[in-house]
Amino acid sequence: MELLVDIFGYLSIILHGLVIVAQSMTLGGVLFLVFLLRPFMHLLPQGADLERRIARLTIYSAIGLALSEIAGTALQVAVLMSTVGLSFSDVMQAPFAVCGTVKVICALLLIPCLGNRISRSPLGAVLPLLLGAAELTAATFTTHAFARLSDNTLLLFVEGLHQFGAAIWIGAIPCFVLALAKLKDADGWRIVGARFSRMSMIGVASIIISGSIMSVYYIGSIQGFYGTAYGVMVGAKIAMFIALLLLGLGNLMVTERLRKNQETSVIRLRRFAEVEIGIGFTIFFAAASLTSVPPAVDLTNDRVTLHEIAVRNAPAWPRFTSPDHDTLAISQMQSQLDKDAEQRHAAAAQANVPGSGILPPRNAEDIAWSEYNHHWAGIFVLVIGLLALINRAGVGWLKHWPLLFLLMAGFLLIRSDPEVWPLGHEGWWVAWRDVEVAQHRFFVALILLFGLFEWAVRTGRLHNPKAALVFPLLVSVGGAMLLTHNHQISNVKDQLLIELTHTPLALAGVSAGWARWLELRLPGRGGRIAGWVWPICFMLVGVILLWYREA
Amino acid sequence: MSLRHRLGTFLVAASCALVSVGASAHAILVDSSPKANGTVAAGHVDIVFKYNSKIDQHRSRMTLVKSDQSETTLTIAANGKQPNELDSGVDLTPGTYTIRWQALALDGHITRGDVPFTVAAKP
Repeated sequence: MELLVDIFGYLSIILHGLVIVAQSMTLGGVLFLVFLLRPFMHLLPQGADLERRIARLTIYSAIGLALSEIAGTALQVAVLMSTVGLSFSDVMQAPFAVCGTVKVICALLLIPCLGNRISRSPLGAVLPLLLGAAELTAATFTTHAFARLSDNTLLLFVEGLHQFGAAIWIGAIPCFVLALAKLKDADGWRIVGARFSRMSMIGVASIIISGSIMSVYYIGSIQGFYGTAYGVMVGAKIAMFIALLLLGLGNLMVTERLRKNQETSVIRLRRFAEVEIGIGFTIFFAAASLTSVPPAVDLTNDRVTLHEIAVRNAPAWPRFTSPDHDTLAISQMQSQLDKDAEQRHAAAAQANVPGSGILPPRNAEDIAWSEYNHHWAGIFVLVIGLLALINRAGVGWLKHWPLLFLLMAGFLLIRSDPEVWPLGHEGWWVAWRDVEVAQHRFFVALILLFGLFEWAVRTGRLHNPKAALVFPLLVSVGGAMLLTHNHQISNVKDQLLIELTHTPLALAGVSAGWARWLELRLPGRGGRIAGWVWPICFMLVGVILLWYREA
Repeated sequence: MSLRHRLGTFLVAASCALVSVGASAHAILVDSSPKANGTVAAGHVDIVFKYNSKIDQHRSRMTLVKSDQSETTLTIAANGKQPNELDSGVDLTPGTYTIRWQALALDGHITRGDVPFTVAAKP
């Protein structure tokens, strides 16, 4: 178990992201039902059917919340029991386990409360709201606000407000999309659009107020913003938040036209809302990955200066020749260990034990190796973007461009982790304990999948329209996961300088995915524009990769 | 509310969003005795590890690793007055040692790390 702590830590970030998504959807669903749908149900011809569908979506979200919370808490409990040698009942009394249990109980109790019998009773609105409030309170006690050395009460309140804002706005968008799809008349769209617009504004205001206060307490200064991993991740969240606001602004204009009884289509409203869901959920994963870095205000040493950022990003010619595998630090260390063992007639020790928590050695050749990988990956992605663009411009035979993803996946699988099979000494299975290796393999699997799907769709091998959505969805997932990617480097500054490159990569990936989604789903000029945007986003990813430096 | 006012609301929201954050993060070691790569005199050594967050002391762990890789679990003192510390003590002879720590922050996040140090003979 000792060797699994790192990979379990990473898994707990992913599970935490799922918990935030499920929690927001559960609370958002409750708020949508209580404050939007039920008060206006008598005015909506399809109101009863819609209520049933939204209650069902909220119940599924509550089940998802219970399951992801159980998995996350169980992981933490298992790690503590085995590494600290505590009993199950002892660990379950830890504050995080108590809060996790409360969250699960609240989520499970919500299920009958959203059923037909209780929702028709006088307590039909009060009970879900009370359970939601209890769940939200428990959730705030598993945030850093509870562990801060001072100002806990204020920070706990602010955390609660932040999560409430995310729930009433982003968490309720799936219900909004469902309502727009099921309602058939302009009056219905007008009622739902206008009320949801107000709910969204409450959400935006809550996020901005709480975010402002937290920035003072957790970032503290401008240098904390750009000079720490925490600040950079917050920057990524802000960029996506602004994208959400712009999409929300587009939707607001449609609801205004509806309010003034002007003829307008709600198709754009629905498609933009779908993209808002995707970007909103990506923000939740960025929030979850913030758990792996300390608040900027606590990192007083090892901050990066603007000068260091400028020096690292000064233009330089990409590296297209690779150093020999034997010259890498870990290869040299292993060869020394092998020689020593031979002299002692004993079995050689492993230079690197995956999951041990001890970071492997690095030398200049390791840096050159990694830069070579990133630069060739950049060439792949740049060419893919360019070919997709030319294909879109009318060169039909270039429809096979997704096959390049398969080549790229193979290249990454072999080269990303030189210490692992087939190039290195570490076995394929044992290397899963290494978080960086596991992440690389996940990305390779994603690239293979979306490459194959897109090729099959473009060449007519897959006819189902839903198959075309796999590519944008997986590209967006890849972008979101890149926000949780980290390199096992002991130098905090170097790690941050790498993150400064990977964060724009993630944002460009997320943009590419959702632009392709719009191309497929949004008819007219908007979809056509999106069709030009996503190949350009890919080309941007390629350029950023070519720009990448580790020294 | 007119469209212009609503547009205004959104623009203000967009600019204010520049300070929007999420806030959850793990415990980091901000100070320690012995210092990382430091030297202390042989005899009884007080161990004080200070973190940026409140720590669940009962559910955290400190292990002393000797140069021959043998390990001894250290007893962490309950210290309600310093909720962000892991405190212990041990008698040490000259040599090189590492303290391997695993801290459970009160918010449920587990972090771990190593502090290597040297024990020198008393002058």
